[in-house]
Amino acid sequence: MILQQLSFLDWLNSHLFACPFKSYFGLDCPGCGLQRSLIALLKGDLSASFKFYPATIPLIALIIFTLLHLKFDFKFGAALIKISFFAVAVIVLINYIYKIYNHQLTA
Amino acid sequence: MSEEQENTPKNNPIDLNKPEQPANPPSGFGPITPPPFQQQPPFGQFGGGMGQQNLPNSTVALVLGILALPACCFYGIFGLIFGIIAWVLGAGDVKKYQLNPGVYTESSFKNAKAGKICGMIATILSILFIVVVVLVVAGAITNPEAYDRFFRGFK
Repeated sequence: MILQQLSFLDWLNSHLFACPFKSYFGLDCPGCGLQRSLIALLKGDLSASFKFYPATIPLIALIIFTLLHLKFDFKFGAALIKISFFAVAVIVLINYIYKIYNHQLTA
Repeated sequence: MSEEQENTPKNNPIDLNKPEQPANPPSGFGPITPPPFQQQPPFGQFGGGMGQQNLPNSTVALVLGILALPACCFYGIFGLIFGIIAWVLGAGDVKKYQLNPGVYTESSFKNAKAGKICGMIATILSILFIVVVVLVVAGAITNPEAYDRFFRGFK
């Protein structure tokens, strides 16, 4: 059973959607790494998931919390969603700038 | 309060199914029990807070606004579309709530506001990325050699 799961993840790993921007211009887009990060998370490797794309875990937590909020209607749910969404957006932005600056600029 | 609200829906069908009940009691306990049966339904229908509806697009706005963030791949187009839809729906619902605040629930108003703000943030990020894409494409087309020197490219 575990073997089956692992092979499925490996299959998934070799069948990711290619980023059109990266394949044409060689430059990462702000979402690059999300799929690899998700697969690392499915494998249970939190640190690898964080290294591929730091915003994955907060983003998934945000989505789960939003679903719970829509179901149970927490009192401060909407405000918390706003704040954490802003935080995730900042993480995405910083991660993108960092990645381009450190790994893809030749200068 | 909550007990009353819970009771009313249960009592309604009894009233409808057994119209004879009020007729039976005159002899015994009747005068005590039937009045709440007859009085509570209008309270439950009008005053119990159940008359307020959710804003129609608040949930959609919130979900789209959040999905707009991971959707900013593919040249930022999907992020832009989702973000603008969430923004417009959320702003429309906020306006609708401000026109007559009593009609809609406050929680859905908060959701609509959150959806509007999430849509705004996602739209801004997508526009930023689209600007980057346009600059990169322009640079790569007009000046390929400098582009290769500047960016490391495939890796």
